[in-house]
Amino acid sequence: MEEVVRLGISAVLLAGLYSVMAYGLGLIYGVLRIVNLAHAGVIMAAAYVTWLLHSRLGIDPYLAIPVILVVFFIFGVLLYKGVVRFLPRGAAGGVQSLLLLFGIWLVMRNGAYLLFSGNDRAIRTEYSTHSISIFGTSVAQSRVVVFVIAVLTLAALHLFLTRTYTGKAIRAVAQNPDSGTIVGVNVERFYALTFGIGTSLGGLAGLLLATIFAFNPTSGAVELLKSFVVVVLGGLGSVVGIALGALVLAFAESYAILILPSYLTAAVSFVLLVVVLVLRPGGLFGQRVLA
Amino acid sequence: MKAVLVRKGTILLGMLALLIAACAPTEDAAREAGDEAEVPDEILVGATLPLTGEEADNGLRYQEGYELAFEVANEDGGLEIGGETVPVRLELLDDTTDQATAVNLAERLINRDQVHVMLGTYSTALVEAQSTVAEQNQIPYVNGGGAATAIYDRGYQWIFGALAPVELLATTQMEWIQKEQEAGNVPDPAEIALLWENTSHGEDYRKGVQDFAEQSGGSFEVVVDESFELDSKDFSAVLSKVKSSGADLFLADAHLPDYVTMQRQYVSSDLCHDVITYGARGSEADAAEALGQENVNYILSAVWWNAQLGEQGGQNEQFINAYKERYNTDPEWYQALGYETVRALFTAIEDAGSVEPEPLREALANLEMESILPGGQLSFPEETGYQADYPFVVQQNLPDGSSPIVYPEELATGKAIAPNPNCEG
Repeated sequence: MEEVVRLGISAVLLAGLYSVMAYGLGLIYGVLRIVNLAHAGVIMAAAYVTWLLHSRLGIDPYLAIPVILVVFFIFGVLLYKGVVRFLPRGAAGGVQSLLLLFGIWLVMRNGAYLLFSGNDRAIRTEYSTHSISIFGTSVAQSRVVVFVIAVLTLAALHLFLTRTYTGKAIRAVAQNPDSGTIVGVNVERFYALTFGIGTSLGGLAGLLLATIFAFNPTSGAVELLKSFVVVVLGGLGSVVGIALGALVLAFAESYAILILPSYLTAAVSFVLLVVVLVLRPGGLFGQRVLA
Repeated sequence: MKAVLVRKGTILLGMLALLIAACAPTEDAAREAGDEAEVPDEILVGATLPLTGEEADNGLRYQEGYELAFEVANEDGGLEIGGETVPVRLELLDDTTDQATAVNLAERLINRDQVHVMLGTYSTALVEAQSTVAEQNQIPYVNGGGAATAIYDRGYQWIFGALAPVELLATTQMEWIQKEQEAGNVPDPAEIALLWENTSHGEDYRKGVQDFAEQSGGSFEVVVDESFELDSKDFSAVLSKVKSSGADLFLADAHLPDYVTMQRQYVSSDLCHDVITYGARGSEADAAEALGQENVNYILSAVWWNAQLGEQGGQNEQFINAYKERYNTDPEWYQALGYETVRALFTAIEDAGSVEPEPLREALANLEMESILPGGQLSFPEETGYQADYPFVVQQNLPDGSSPIVYPEELATGKAIAPNPNCEG
């Protein structure tokens, strides 16, 4: 029983990490209908920027969150205006956007090799190995912080999309860009804004990952795959669904160790992906348009 | 018309014959080529190492060992072959810690660059894949980076390994633990949580621990037996299982990146065991930097070499001094193995008096050389599939940042500490 509780706590914390990784991918897909493969490169790049800020300027990773959000928001907007907006939209543009964004990811990865070599980097702070007790179970303090940030991000994103004019406009553009244009919404502006927000969320994920794991230029690939599984599980285009999808994946992976050898738990996510795509192609929690 | 066709056919046949003649060397030409190959102007040694990617840290360490050995050999003009001194050159490529790249580059080195002999890459997975290319091309392949017995039990005749088997690593660690158990420092019976990477390397480690436990007459019992994927990120579930088991000993086999990731999660999960080890990993300066010295204290590791062997003087001292002169720091076992692998190859080339594949293979198979490795001798016995077989040294991290040898006793430079003081209070 003790192990079941411990695995449950571990799963909830893991879900926080997975959801932060997937918010940006889900938001961009929900509005622009583009699978942003450069998300992996953004996660990796943000980890390096966080590491640089910490090792060179002594800025604590959590205090660097605003810097990362702003830097990667600007990067996302520039990426959209410089490259992504020229892509054809919808099913017809699927292959082009996949290839282009995959190419951008490769450029970012090789840029990181050039700048930082292939060596593993890790951020070590005073609290890197601190733990706190939850229901008698010791858990890493940094994981709890990641979970709290994930919940706050979910709440902020939900409120932004449902309570603000900009958020409502983004949802309107996601639902029907043509009607949005007719009623005077500047669709391109909101696409750029969404791509920027999605990229800054990817940057946030990279920062948080860097506080827990070592990373190198290949980092981001596994995170991209997990994010994709979470987004599909949660229902494409649903932010709350993404959080729930992350919870399902984390619980499935964590409890799988009770019946499977641990090296097979990585396969659980892909089995889940196939099952959901066959039985509920719209995701476990339906296909809503954001929020 | 018919005459034209006949004439064209004759011309075509003639051209074909000329082409065949041009491609096939005459007996004399072949002999000349053979003579030239026996004493070449330069000995070209091909190698790949993971200079980028997951194993880049260790690949760069091996590179240092390789380059030092080449530098030392070329200081005196090179290697003695057939009464001549021939310079030796290393053609080193980056296999990016990728099996397919390691294989492709080996093919390129052998078939395009026409290297005389191959030095192996680092890590079991890469050596296992790459060595097949050397075997297929019948080129001697000497490696110091692949320790799993799976590499050497395939019946290959051209693959030589300077790393002693991982199974022996596990056995040596268990011998030390048993000694501490007999001294009352480790519970009897002791329960073991055994985690191993899902590779041939990890399987060998697991077998070493399990066989020892089975033959211990009940003194050791494996209560957790789990494997994990290389370069895993999240070990929380498997560590949760370890915690639930209440095991006394934590024995893991991991490569450096996984050791760093797992140990960080181990510490923050408030785990503590009387004995903790990550197999061959534990004493690396990079790990202490990434985790903090206080989080790597008392970790036990069994390695193929330790710089403290230099205190006994001889070749070890010479190697350490040469290394310090070039790199301004102490070598770790990675550099020593890289260096010694190259030295074994060079000794065999001089023994063979040739870089022709067959005589060189024979020389490697019959090699008996004085070595910097524990035991002082290096050979590639046929009965182990040409994998070297020599004792490991067990070392333990101490709070002052040192990692003295604690076992075997005849090589010990410090006293072992058990049980793990971190668990007190």
